[in-house]
Amino acid sequence: MTIVRNRWLEIVTVAIIGVSLFRSMTVVADVTQGDVQRIMYVHVPSAWLAFLAFMVTMVGSAAWLRTKDQRWDRLAASSAEIGVVFTGLAIVAGMIWAKPVWGQFWTWEPRLVTTALLFFIYLGYLALRRAVIDPVQRARRAAIMGIVAAVQIPIVYYSVNWWRSLHQPSSARSIDTPLRITLLLGVVAFTFAYAVLLRRRLELARLEEELDAKRFEQSQSVAGADITAPSLASHPHD
Amino acid sequence: MNGHEIVYLDDVGLRLGNTIILREAKLSLGPGEKVGLLGPNGSGKTTLLRIIATLLQPTSGSGAVLGAEIGTQDVYEIRNRIVMVGHLPGLWPELTLGENTELVARLSGRSPEVAADALAQVGLARASERRADQSSKGMLRRAELARALILEPTLLLLDEAHAGLDAEAIGMVDTIANRVVAGGGAVMLVSHEPDRLNVHRSVQLVDGTLEMVS
Amino acid sequence: MTFWRQVYEVARKDLLVESRTAEVALMTAPFGAAALILIPLAIGTDAPLLSQLGPGLYWIVVLLFGMLVILRKSAVDGQAQRDLVRLLGIEPAAAFAGATAATSALVLFFEVALGPILIALYNPELRGWPWLFVILPLVAIGMGLLGTIASGVTTSIGTRTSLTPLLIVPLSLPLLMGATQALEGLRLGRGIVPWLILLFAVDLALAVSGVLAARPLEEAVT
Repeated sequence: MTIVRNRWLEIVTVAIIGVSLFRSMTVVADVTQGDVQRIMYVHVPSAWLAFLAFMVTMVGSAAWLRTKDQRWDRLAASSAEIGVVFTGLAIVAGMIWAKPVWGQFWTWEPRLVTTALLFFIYLGYLALRRAVIDPVQRARRAAIMGIVAAVQIPIVYYSVNWWRSLHQPSSARSIDTPLRITLLLGVVAFTFAYAVLLRRRLELARLEEELDAKRFEQSQSVAGADITAPSLASHPHD
Repeated sequence: MNGHEIVYLDDVGLRLGNTIILREAKLSLGPGEKVGLLGPNGSGKTTLLRIIATLLQPTSGSGAVLGAEIGTQDVYEIRNRIVMVGHLPGLWPELTLGENTELVARLSGRSPEVAADALAQVGLARASERRADQSSKGMLRRAELARALILEPTLLLLDEAHAGLDAEAIGMVDTIANRVVAGGGAVMLVSHEPDRLNVHRSVQLVDGTLEMVS
Repeated sequence: MTFWRQVYEVARKDLLVESRTAEVALMTAPFGAAALILIPLAIGTDAPLLSQLGPGLYWIVVLLFGMLVILRKSAVDGQAQRDLVRLLGIEPAAAFAGATAATSALVLFFEVALGPILIALYNPELRGWPWLFVILPLVAIGMGLLGTIASGVTTSIGTRTSLTPLLIVPLSLPLLMGATQALEGLRLGRGIVPWLILLFAVDLALAVSGVLAARPLEEAVT
């Protein structure tokens, strides 16, 4: 039974995803859009995860700045990596959904625009991490960028929303209860998937750091040790 | 630590990537002391100076500089009492030597006249209109020494203290260092020519630790 | 020395160095102007179309080509210069504010330099133009703040010229919205105060972030 004890989160997640998938496929179809509307059960939960993951990154960033504990940096980085995947998924799913419904892949809906920008903010954050070699410097710079971005994201959203509301009325409409329950189930399933992935990624990050430490023990060199006496002899009176 | 040291390092270690720059480095520098820092190329002398100048935080160990514990916010209060002349020139290449020196005076809240005076003292009065990127290494070095005259530091750190200087300028380095020492400050000089150092004692950086040199 | 005196001296230093390289005045501004000439040749030279699209294109050019103002040589100090400034006892927040002031002033210069080109080539409607005295500086300050923060975290990174714009552009959207919608509001005779408040709010949020991040950031770029 150890496998159940060690893998309970995975097992629960697979079960919830299964139920959510079944529900998404069998729940009554949307009256106006038909079956294509079912993509909402992927699109909306992905978008939710995109924002959740970035919030976790911000929390990790702030906690690192306070404590300087590398575990918080690992949390921020791992969450951002998962976040960028789900942000991409939300955008692609949204475009697939939009094409048959609106006749085009893209609309300038505020949440869509914000999600797209979030994708690039994530990419920049990860590119910054990749460009800094020293772990402490990387953590510090990434934490600052993570927090500055997090402060700006709500302003980004409100500015697009505001702009949009001036140009056309909001297209938000209420959805029926069975559909709403299915959507909620999808959100729960995706959140569990996030937790599983995050746990795995954190474990991987920890192992990477251990490996680095081991490598360091074996290959450590003291400054100056790589420079030896020159073998080129001097021949002053040749 | 007895509270009177200007620099006090206890088992300070620094690791950058897979390289250990320092391990368990101990150092104590009291008022009126002039100490030489020796060591082969790449042994971490410049890095050690930057740690002493509070510009770089060690990864382990503790210490204090001018009463401020390193790694704390207190270092912001004492930094303006330290002058470091590094191995790369701390000058803006697009500005003239005069402008660079004036900048030091202005940024430290002193009047620009002090700068002109200091420039004359290091023998650069006639070169003050010359851009830094049009000046020789020795001239840049002199312009940097003018900084020590303007700021009158309690702690003077000179990296490659004699590199690129003629006999006159080397005498000037000694004069400036002696002035700091006479005022109750401390000086640390890095050099590859121990005979020229003219110091009270020397320490050597070997395998990341500091050893006394007899 | 007071905080504001430090801010002034740091900004003065940056602008003095810039006056020698003249990168913004002699390189970036003409480059931006050349872009404004090229765009109509790609999208069509129809006069009403250009008059309508002009302001939007202007802000795009300011925002994207403005990256070169942020990345300019005089905004980058080497380690020796950074060490010098730190040892002179300059408070990191003052160094941040000074660098921001210099960059903002140069972005404003860039905006003003492109203005006449825009008017000459695109003939945009200029109703309510005195408001530009508020809009242009607010956008310039926002770009200066974003640019100084992003340049801070990318200091001494080899790929900083590509990385810095990637960090800035997605976050600069509220500046673009505020600027374009304020001009649109003026053109249509609508109220523009909400958009000015937006610009102001962005600047304020960035200023607070930058000042709070100044010390940790300084320690991160040793």
